[in-house]
Order: sequence, then structure tokens, then C-alpha cells
Amino acid sequence: MANDREILRELWEGKLPVCFKLDLDEVVEMQQPDPFYLMVSRVSYFPLVIDKVRKHFLRYVASDKMDQVMWLDYNGQPLKWHYPIGVLFDLLVSVDDLPWTITAHFEKLPEEHIYDFKTKDDMEAYFKSCLKEADVLKFKGQLVSSMQIKDHKQLWMGLQNDKFDQFWAVNRKLMELSSEYENFRHIPFRCYVGDGYKQALVKPVFENGQHKTLKDLLDELFPGKQTKIKTHGINPPLETPLQWMSEHLSYPDNFLHLCVEVC
Amino acid sequence: MPSSILFGINNEGRVHTLSTTGSFWRELPYGGQEFKKLSALPHFLWALGGDHQIYVYVHGLDIPIRVREESYENERWYPIEGFSSKLLPTDRHQYSDASGSTNRSMDTIRLPSMAWQWEGDWKLELSLEGQPLDHNGWTYAMDFPSQFHPKKQWTSCVRRRLWVRSRRYSAMNSWCAIAPLHKDATSEPFIDISIGGQSVPGAEEGTMLVWAITNLNRVMFRMGVSTKSPEGIRWNDVSVPLGCEICQISVGSTGLVWASLACGRALVRGGVTRDNLQGSNWIEVRNPAANLRIVQLSVGTNAIWALTHDKHVWFRKGVRGESAGVSEDCAIGSGWIEMVGTMTLLSVCANDQLFAIGADDRRVYFRTEVTQSDLTGKRWKTLTAPLQVSRASSNASLNRDKFHRSIQMLGRPSSMYEPASLRDYNEQSHSAPTAPTSLPLNDASTKFETQPKNPKAWSPIHSVGSVVGMEVHPETDESIWSECSRDSCIFGDDEELGWAEYEAPWSWVEAGACIIEHSQIPNWFTIANGSSIDELDQPWRNKILDALKYRLNDGDKYVDYEMAVDTSSWIQTGEARVSLKKSAYFECCLQLEWQENSGTLTILNPDGASTLASFSLSDISCIQNCSEPGNPRLTIQVPRLSPPEVKLQFASDNSLEEWQTHLHVTCSKIHNIVGKPNDSCVWSVTKLGDIFIWDPTELEKNQLREDEFYVQKYDLSGKESPIKVALRVGCNPGSVITLSGCFSEDAERIGINLDADSTYKIRSKAHVELENTVLHINPRFSDDFVVRNTMIDGKWGKEERDGVMPFARGQEFTLKIVTTEDAFILFVDNQKFCSYRHRLPPQSVSHLSIWGRIQPYRLVINSPQIIIDPYNVFWRQIGGHVRKVESCNIGVTWAIGYDQTAWVYTEGWGGGFLGTMESHNIHPMTDSQDYRVYENQRWNPVTGFASAGLPTDRPMWSDASGKQKRLKDQVKLQSKHWQWISDWMVDFHVPGGVDKDGWQYAVDFPASFHSNKNFTDYVRRRRWYRRCAVSTTGPWQELGHTKLLDVSLEPVRDDLDTVVSVWALASGGQPMIRVGVSKHNPMGNGWEHVSSEKPLSSISCGPFNKVWATEKKGCACVRVGITEDTLEGEKWIGVESPSGGALKQISVNTIGIWAVDNLGRLHVRINVSSSTPQGTHWQTITPDPPVLSSGTHTKCFKQVSVSRIGVWAVTDGGSMVRRLGICPNNPAGSGWDIFPSERWHYISIRAFN
Repeated sequence: MANDREILRELWEGKLPVCFKLDLDEVVEMQQPDPFYLMVSRVSYFPLVIDKVRKHFLRYVASDKMDQVMWLDYNGQPLKWHYPIGVLFDLLVSVDDLPWTITAHFEKLPEEHIYDFKTKDDMEAYFKSCLKEADVLKFKGQLVSSMQIKDHKQLWMGLQNDKFDQFWAVNRKLMELSSEYENFRHIPFRCYVGDGYKQALVKPVFENGQHKTLKDLLDELFPGKQTKIKTHGINPPLETPLQWMSEHLSYPDNFLHLCVEVC
Repeated sequence: MPSSILFGINNEGRVHTLSTTGSFWRELPYGGQEFKKLSALPHFLWALGGDHQIYVYVHGLDIPIRVREESYENERWYPIEGFSSKLLPTDRHQYSDASGSTNRSMDTIRLPSMAWQWEGDWKLELSLEGQPLDHNGWTYAMDFPSQFHPKKQWTSCVRRRLWVRSRRYSAMNSWCAIAPLHKDATSEPFIDISIGGQSVPGAEEGTMLVWAITNLNRVMFRMGVSTKSPEGIRWNDVSVPLGCEICQISVGSTGLVWASLACGRALVRGGVTRDNLQGSNWIEVRNPAANLRIVQLSVGTNAIWALTHDKHVWFRKGVRGESAGVSEDCAIGSGWIEMVGTMTLLSVCANDQLFAIGADDRRVYFRTEVTQSDLTGKRWKTLTAPLQVSRASSNASLNRDKFHRSIQMLGRPSSMYEPASLRDYNEQSHSAPTAPTSLPLNDASTKFETQPKNPKAWSPIHSVGSVVGMEVHPETDESIWSECSRDSCIFGDDEELGWAEYEAPWSWVEAGACIIEHSQIPNWFTIANGSSIDELDQPWRNKILDALKYRLNDGDKYVDYEMAVDTSSWIQTGEARVSLKKSAYFECCLQLEWQENSGTLTILNPDGASTLASFSLSDISCIQNCSEPGNPRLTIQVPRLSPPEVKLQFASDNSLEEWQTHLHVTCSKIHNIVGKPNDSCVWSVTKLGDIFIWDPTELEKNQLREDEFYVQKYDLSGKESPIKVALRVGCNPGSVITLSGCFSEDAERIGINLDADSTYKIRSKAHVELENTVLHINPRFSDDFVVRNTMIDGKWGKEERDGVMPFARGQEFTLKIVTTEDAFILFVDNQKFCSYRHRLPPQSVSHLSIWGRIQPYRLVINSPQIIIDPYNVFWRQIGGHVRKVESCNIGVTWAIGYDQTAWVYTEGWGGGFLGTMESHNIHPMTDSQDYRVYENQRWNPVTGFASAGLPTDRPMWSDASGKQKRLKDQVKLQSKHWQWISDWMVDFHVPGGVDKDGWQYAVDFPASFHSNKNFTDYVRRRRWYRRCAVSTTGPWQELGHTKLLDVSLEPVRDDLDTVVSVWALASGGQPMIRVGVSKHNPMGNGWEHVSSEKPLSSISCGPFNKVWATEKKGCACVRVGITEDTLEGEKWIGVESPSGGALKQISVNTIGIWAVDNLGRLHVRINVSSSTPQGTHWQTITPDPPVLSSGTHTKCFKQVSVSRIGVWAVTDGGSMVRRLGICPNNPAGSGWDIFPSERWHYISIRAFN
């Protein structure tokens, strides 16, 4: 069970300073808008945190664009905002480039690259589907499907309002091992390589009951290759047990998001 | 969950223990005897030795087992000789019991066995019903079956006196052999033993049932086994049906007995009830299949488990232990169900949890997920607790050699060399002791209190141990019990070396003394479980944590960045039902708005359009749960507003707790309450068992200070005379009251009074109010002088009117009243005007009142003492459910639950509804309570007693008063945290006594009930009860197994490292002191029993050398001879009870000795001085009208708490009051300050100084 509160809390508290700028081509006012500085949570999603940014930039864009979705790019690359913010940062940016400068757009949403999240409900639906997938991997999906709407709501509102206790009060149940399962059936994870990510069915223990470590997972996925792993802005030691990692280092969607650099 | 013990026997026949709070098996000190079988209840272990004799082991009891033997000496009066021991032939024996029916000649009263010792010689009882008798102890009556009186009258023809002598079970913490059946112990050895029956429905508390089987297949029932008589009296042969050869027997917690037969079938004992503990008949039950023989059975409460000879496990469905005595179907169940797994032994706990020993690996298994709804559980889990071997134990090499040698020398085969199996008895040799036990001689004459503190220095095992030529080394074996109960005082603490771990094959496991919940499994399965505490020390974990912490190491650069999610202000909305001004509940919307550092609670109409009430969270003084079953409710106290309390009813417990949490968290923020509460907190408990604290230092911080004074300022401008201002503090010497104002042009007579609370006298059954004015200042402008006077009980005294008139009409003035030890000194415009000698104690001043043509501006009180305004008190809730809390001024705090469990405060906070959020150092807690309903019946000539009453009668199912209808099936639990732990059962322990079906009889309903039906009795009733338990969390740790009635704590010195003197009463009323309690060790080390002839009901200590207690009979007693070195003191001295009342509860401290009696009156001990430390008499304080109107249904006082500086009390209606005006001249004080909140049950202000 995920009971190492210190780690969980520390993960939750992870923040990134972001400097939002509006695409200059889209500015219709005479005056240039000031950049908007914001501390965002690593474990959250961009659609949940950019309301203030949008409000700030709104009066500088053409009135017919005002009801458009505001999307983001970094270095000309549209941000896949269905990834957790921390994942995007670990993939694209290095700590030396802080604050993270992101350009906001109201026009020409690149629908082929990113999801068209018009409202937070769309984001919630996506988040829920991730949870469900993770649960299927861990416990054949019995937990999420038996969860009450109220609990779903609490989980989502906890994430949205940055309430650790509220979120974990529910998430704890999803991470709890029952008498039926001494370990998760499979570890829900995504290994980001290049432009996409790799997923596979990996059990947390070997046939003989011995616990697998992060190294074992990498050996299974990238046999014979040297890899470098980053998640939550850190390089977890390779001897970390997978089961523990899944319980403690998963993002709120219950997935381990590992950014892999194959050497 | 109290810690408890699982027992096991390894393949060498050595007994091991595994505590639910530990994770290692530890060996019980070896005393030279191997064991084959064990059967246990908490504290009582019965075993079948390797020699096939029966042994008892009593352990872990804090209170010695003591039995008081009584013998009444009877005499009759004859005209010439006077009283003589010659009695009439029709009279009773010269020495008899209380009823006179049996001979109790003192020389025939012997110790039941050698495990008992006398404590002193026969002594006379020198009091009757709390009243002292003369030194001969005689009580007089007209004739024998009569009421005896302390005084001789002319009609007194007989007299009697009571001789008492106590005996004590001295074989505690050691094996004690039970006498064999025959003189030659080997002629009929035993083959099985089982103990149970600790909860036979309705049976006397402490009853235990022991069954055994001999090798002649005779079934033996041990008569008279109870907690007061651990070895019982004798074996009783219980006949079995012809041709039945019983091999093994098991008795469950409710007395249900199952036995397995040689033919493979089972026998069930039917009709085990409280009246017939042996049961009445055998019922045969078939084996699961014709070819499967049952070889072992284990009986829990509702679960019966069996093993067949092929080692398969079977569950018997349909058994209901509580009804097994009256219903055959419930005793035998309805069928066998096979379970997976192969085992060689099964053992069921009282709560039906199952342990087993694997058939092949000989490891101990636990059945997971056994619940009352699914008694069969889910799967087997291996216990992985390793065995710890101490150097002192049998497995250390030295002892092992010795043991081997001695065995070989005796040429005696031992179970040690073979895996113990259940069927190899006959080849064993037997060398049982010929006498039960023997004791060292020198103990017999010493009194208990002077005995060595360490009763382990000897052991009756010597006689048994000599069989193998070994002795125990008790001083080296502390660790076995220390985990579960530090105070079970068996072993010393000095064994550290030589621990080793090894895995042993087990031959026996015994779970009868083990209480575990399927939801709170002990730490016995660590390896199988994925995560454990070990992970916290793993290097990879620490690397990750460090890396996470330094992710944004130059975070300071970004402090100006706005947070994406703003958590500093928020709004919480919801729906509820509200009751304002005690109205009915109606729908409303709730809105809690929080911004930065302040918040507002708004109650709106359901449509949200209009506001019903709205107040700032800083106005809230207390948020109390006031739920009734099925109606989750909160009371929010806003004493300064109107209405002063708002009650909210929620749709569910969850929604209640959500709001409770929000309100608690926000109110705590407003009051700057974070973390650990201050040591000097006042603790209180509500009627629902919720715990609250008030931190006086918070008040102190917020109170104005000028120099040495606490200052309170009132702006009175704009107020019209007459005015009455509550001062909240008396005029203690040193205090200064300054009043400024202006007299009108037309001012005539003006009154400026310092009033005390009125005296109330009862005249013709009504209270008459008699006013008291301590200082009356009365400027009379037409007469040109100022009158000073005092009114005592409505009567003015002699006026003082000398001095020049300092005031003038139409002029402003400043009046300063300085209180000194013996007088008030009055200054007008900074000129001394006069002084006025005290006629009433100035401390009793409670109000300032002003009348006449005057406009006051400003009132300033400078008091050397803190001014406590009850309206400024904020109560913070702490998790847990208890009945009472006691604290002391260095912050060591204990609590006692409704189930009499003692809890020690961990200095944490939170828990309960707060869950793990905002909590620190919290632990799981349980408590239990009984629901009671009365079944009422009336007699009619046709059908006899029937449940049809007269129309005027009470409901046929009612509460105790008969006013409320209470149906058994409609009784609801308080909240989701409670659950039933028993069925409805008839209560046989009702005051007044009951008949065999639990009925009590009376002439008519509102009457006193008695146990026997008389000719004139037309009604009867019986009480049913059902027990429920709550599980919650709180910053409390369970102390141990000893149940407590009362506790009192007092530091010996004033520094923080001081020892705390802790006096407590065990559930039987025996006084004890806790050794080694201090701030750093709030749980202390162990109990030390203090002898007391009479059971006590309440105890209080303060200062440490002053200990008062109340006896159950109602009088008080004082412990004398207490010094810093002998905290337990020397002896008790009796103090009479106040006239017409029996004392129930007492609280003492430097400020005085206060007690509550059974009529709800308060009594204060008067004339207490260093020469008369016991005082001379009680002064009675009856509740006066202000107290009676302080809360709904308030009729009397319920509890009082006394600190060094104050006296606070709680009334039966739940209001909290504070005594005013206490001073050395008036130890009883005068008047009450009443707190604005209700529903209180208990208060402890002992830490508040």
C-alpha cells in the first residue's frame, strides 16, 4: 500500500515556474501583453491551470477568436496537454531553461497533434479513462468500476484544487493491495521514447516471487540497451522495486510516466 | 484493540507466546515441564503437561486475585447473663454467613489450595453502611432475620458482628498443577483439556468453563472455575452415552461444547445456560462423510471447525453460539463445508478468527477475511513471525545440555525427540506431583503490602520442576510479556544478549486468548506483504526523497509567481436541515466562505434567496456532534449572538463529518491553533464521548496585560442606567476597579454596587432569592454624604457615612476601588476618599451594578488573576471516544473509555472525523456501550403475566423511566462508526436482583423492583441489552488490560522531570498506583496494588500527598503517610459521609476537597487545616436557580473537578459551571459562572493553573 506519505507529499508539491507569452502574430491591440508568470503543479494538466492565463490574454486577441480554445506550444512544438505537466517538462525542457517559456495561441489549433479539450470535462473524461486503464492493469479493473461517482468527483476535484488529502483519501483505495492481490497484476507505466511512448504488460514480481526492480523493467523493454530514466524531474535508482514505484511514483492517473533516453 | 497473546507449543514441548503488538515468538520461561496441549483465555492458561497432568498458569493480571471470607458471629440476649453465645435451638449457627443458613465457623474456613495465602488474620469489620461502629463491631436487631442497627435498643434481643479475612492467589505467573483424579496420578491421566465459557449469556462476570478428557475416555467438568477461583474446586464426571469414546473436546466462548469420538463422529453438549453451566444432554452429530473421521474440533462463538483424519478442514455452518444453550439447532448447526488446505490442528478465537498448523510444513496459518458475515474466510496465510530464543530459554546450548542429560538420566521418553502427535500418550511415563503445589514457607506470614515488589523471586513450580531437576530463572526472562503488557510483572528487564532467530516446526497453536480483528491484523505477516516499514530505510528510497526535495533548488527566484491553483480562499456549499432557536428542523443551504484568514458561515433558505443566519467563524466557541441515532447533527455554539446556538442536521454521517472537518479546520486557523495543545489545557468530554480541550493560554495571550495585571475594559458610554456588568473575576486583593462617568444635573441618590451572587434558601419548597452586596456606594446629593454599606442575605448592615462628599451633580468623576486584604480603599479623582472594611469576602464579587441618574463612561478592571470570560472559550476537538479524561499540570493525560479501558494521551492531535488529515500521533481506538430496553408485563387473572398492560401503563417495551417507547428492533446505532457486537440478551445483572428468567417484580410500575414474586406483585419487567462498539482514531494509546473505574494524576514536584503520582481504581474498586509515570513516560511502568478493605468508587489526588477516595458504600476515606518516597502511603482513614447522602465522586486539590453525592449535591470539606487535614464536616451546596436554569433538564450536579485555583462542575443536564468567590475564609465560594454550551459529561481542569 502506498503508505510513504513523505514521498507522496513531496511528489504532490512539485511545482514548475512557467512564463506564458501570447503569440505576437495574434495580438491585435496596440500594446503588447505582459508575459504571465505562473507556478504550476507537475502532477496537474495544463487545461486545469491556464484559466488565469487565458483571461489575461483574452483582451489582446481578435474578438472573433475569443471563444476559441487556447493552446500552447514550446519552441514551436504544440504541447500535448493530455500528458501531465511534469512529463512534458521532463521530455522537452531542461532545468537550466527555467522558467519554462510557453507560447499561447488562440488560432489554428493543431488538431492532428493535440486533443481538442474544449472544457475541463473533456480533460476529466480523458483522465478517467487513464485511471480505468491503470486499474485494469493492476486489478482487472474492479476498483474503478465499483467506485462511486462521488469518489470519482473527489479524486478529480482533489487534483484540480490541489488538495492532497482529498485526492489521496480516494486514490489510496486504488493503490491498496487486497488479500486477493499481494502485488499488482501488472504495472501501469508508459515509457516515453522519441515522439511516442511504449507500453507493455510487466508484472511486479518474477515467477519465483522475487520483486522486480526498475532495472528489470528496462531490461524487458529495451533488452541490451543502456537507458537513462527520468520521472518527476529525478532519476530514480535502478534498484527501486517496481511495485513500490507504482504505488508511490505514479502520477495521479495511476501511471508511471518514465522518460527514457536510450543511449 | 487491546494487545493479546497467541500461544504455541513447538516440537520440543515448549510454550511460546506471540503478542498482537509484537512480531516474534518468545518462549515462556521453562520450568522443567513440557506441554502437549494448551487452552487459553485472556490471563488464564490451562495446559496438558507431558506427564498428562493438568496445569494452570495465571498471568498478566494487575490486580491480585483476592477473596474476602466472612463469618458472622451471632449472640442472643438473656435477662441475666446479657448477650451470650448460647443461641436458641431454632437460631442460626454461632458463626454463620450473612443469611444465617450455613455454618461459617472460622476454623473450618481453610485455604482452597496451596496456591492461596492468607493476608493477615481474622479481623472485625468496624463499620456498617459507611457508619462507624464501636470497636467491638456489634450490630443489633430484634431477632435474626432482620435489619441490624449500629446502636443497641431496648428491643435488641440479638446481636452479631462480622469477622473478615482475605486470601490471595499467590501462584500468579507460574505453572500450578491441578491435583490428579486419584492418589496415584498415573492411574488415570488426562488426554485433553479445554477452557472457554467466558461469555455464557447472562452468566456471572468472570465465569469460565473447563472440560477435560481422561485416558479412560471419561469427560470431566471442572466445578467453580472463575476469575476469583482460577483452579476451580473439583472435577465432576459428566456421563456420556454408552459406547461413545470421547477423544478430544473443545468449549467455546458461550459455553458450547463439541467433542470428537473415536468412531469419528462428534458429540455436542446441549442446554449449557447460566443456570446449568455443565449442560444437560449430548447430541450426536455425524461426521462429514462416512469414511471421514473427525479427529479434532475447535469451537469459537459462531464458528465450529473440524479436522478429519485425512487432515482436511471442515466448517460447521449454522451454529449460533449465543443461542446454543436454548436451541438445539443453534448448537449443532446444519452441515459441514469443506475448506481447502490440509492441517493438523485448528484453533478458533472467541471472535471466530481461525488459526491452524499446516499438515506438512508444521507452520502456523491464519485464515484471512473471517468476518461475522463470512465466517469461513478467504484463504490461508502463513505467520512469518520468527522465534526469538533467549539465552535463558531451553534452546540455548547450556540449558539444552542440562536438559538432555536430565532426561537421559531419568530414562524418560519425551515429546521433545519426536514431532508431538496427538496419539502417543500411552507410551509416556508419568511422574506427576502428589500435591497440587507447594509454597516457600516464609511467605505465609507476611502481609501483601510488605512483600517484595517482585513476586517472581519464588515460584510454586519448584515442586513440579523438580521432576526434571531444573529450576526456572525468572529474573532473566522479562521479554516475553513486556511487549504486550509492561505491567504483567513476570520477568526482569535485564536480558538483552543471546537472542537468536530460528524457525521451528509447531505442534500446537492456541488462539483462545487472542483477540484480533480481520481488519487490523498484527504485524505477523511482514514478508508476505509487499511493503513494510523497512522500506523507509532503503537507500533507493532516501535517494528518491532527497532528489525530490532538491528538484527546484533555486525556488526563491520564483516566489512572485502566482499559484495556478489558489488554495487560500474557497467556498464550500451544501444542503442541510437547520434548527434555530430550538425550532423544528427545516431545509436550508449552507455556505462556508473562507478568505485568507477569516471565514463566514451563512445559512440560506433552500432556494438560496434569503439569509436565515450568517456569522463570522470567529464567533464560534464550539462545534459539537449532537447526533441522535439516524439523525446526524452538529451544534454550532455562537454564544455572543442570537440565537446562541445553531443546530444542523445532515443527510448522512459522511456529510456531517465533511462539514465538521471544514468547520474544525477553519475555526482552528482563526484561533491560531496548530499542533500539540498546551499542557495546561482544560479537558472535557461530551455526552457522546467526544473529547474537547480548551487552551487557557490562548485566552491569556489575547488578554490585555498592564504590569502585573490582567485588564478588561468595558465601554459603558451610551448605556443607560441601571446597568449590570458581569465582572468574571472576584475582587481579589490587589485588584483595582476604575469607573468613570458623569452625574446628571438632577441626580439625587446614586447606587454603585459590587454585588455577589444571591443566596437561595428553600422556603415552602420554593427557592427564595436573598441578595448580597459586598460594597454599596450610595452618594446622596441632597444629604451631602456618601453611604457605604453591605447587604448580606437581603439584609442591610450598618451604614458608614463619614467623610466629605467628593461628588457633585453634573460633574464628571473617576472612582477607583482598590481591594486590599482587609478593606476596599476608595479613591475619587485620584484622591483617597475612604476605606471600607470587608464584611463579605471580596472574592465573592461577581457583578457591578449602577442605578440612578448617572451616565457611566468606562469601566476598567485590573485583576492580578486571569479573567475568564466563559464566552471567550474556544473548544477544540481531539479524536477518540471515552467516558472521562483526567489531566495534570505537566500535561500527562489519561482517559477511561465506557468499556473501562485506560488510554494515555500521546501528545498528538486530530483523529476521529479528521481522519489522517490534520492529525499527528494517532492510533486506532475502540469503545463499547450497551443499549438497554425494558420489557414490561402486567398480571391479569386469565393469562397471568402478559404483555397487555392497562391503558395507563407504560409501553410494553420502554426505557428505564417507562416514559419512552423503545422497541428492540427499532434501536438504531449512533453513527456509521458503531456496529453491533452482540444480539439482544436478557440482562441478569440488574440492581435489585432478577429471577431465573431475568424478571423483576413490583406492586405497580413506578415502584422499586425486586427479584422474587410476592403475592401483591402485579407487574414485572426485565432488562434486555445489546452491546455495540465504535471504532475510531485519536491521539491515545491503550495502557494495558487492566480496566479502570477512575484515575487521578498529580505531579510530585513542579518541574517538568517530576514523577507523577497516579492513583487509579480497578474495575472492582481496588485502589492502585502506577509506578514510573512522568512526562517522558506517560504510561508508567506498572501497577502496584494498594490494599483497601472496601471497594472504592472514586479517587482523587492533589497535592500528591493528599489522596481522598469515596467508598462504594458512600463514605469517604483519606490516605495518610504519603511522602515522596512512599507514594502509596500507609493506611486509609475513614471520613463520614454527609448526612442523607452517599458520596459518588470526589476531587481534591489545594483549593479544597469537593465531592458529589448520589442526590446530585456538592459537598465541600470545611475547616481543613494543617492540624486537621481531614477537616471537620461537609458543607452542602444544592443546585440553585441559576444552575437549575443553566441547561435543559438540569436537576443536580454530576461531576466536579478541582484544580489549584478553581472548581468547575458539570450538571446532569450537561451544562458546565464554575464556582466563584472561593477564598480561604469561604472555601465553599459563592455563586456560579455558567458556560454557554451544553451536552457536557465530564470535565478535568486539573492542568489549568
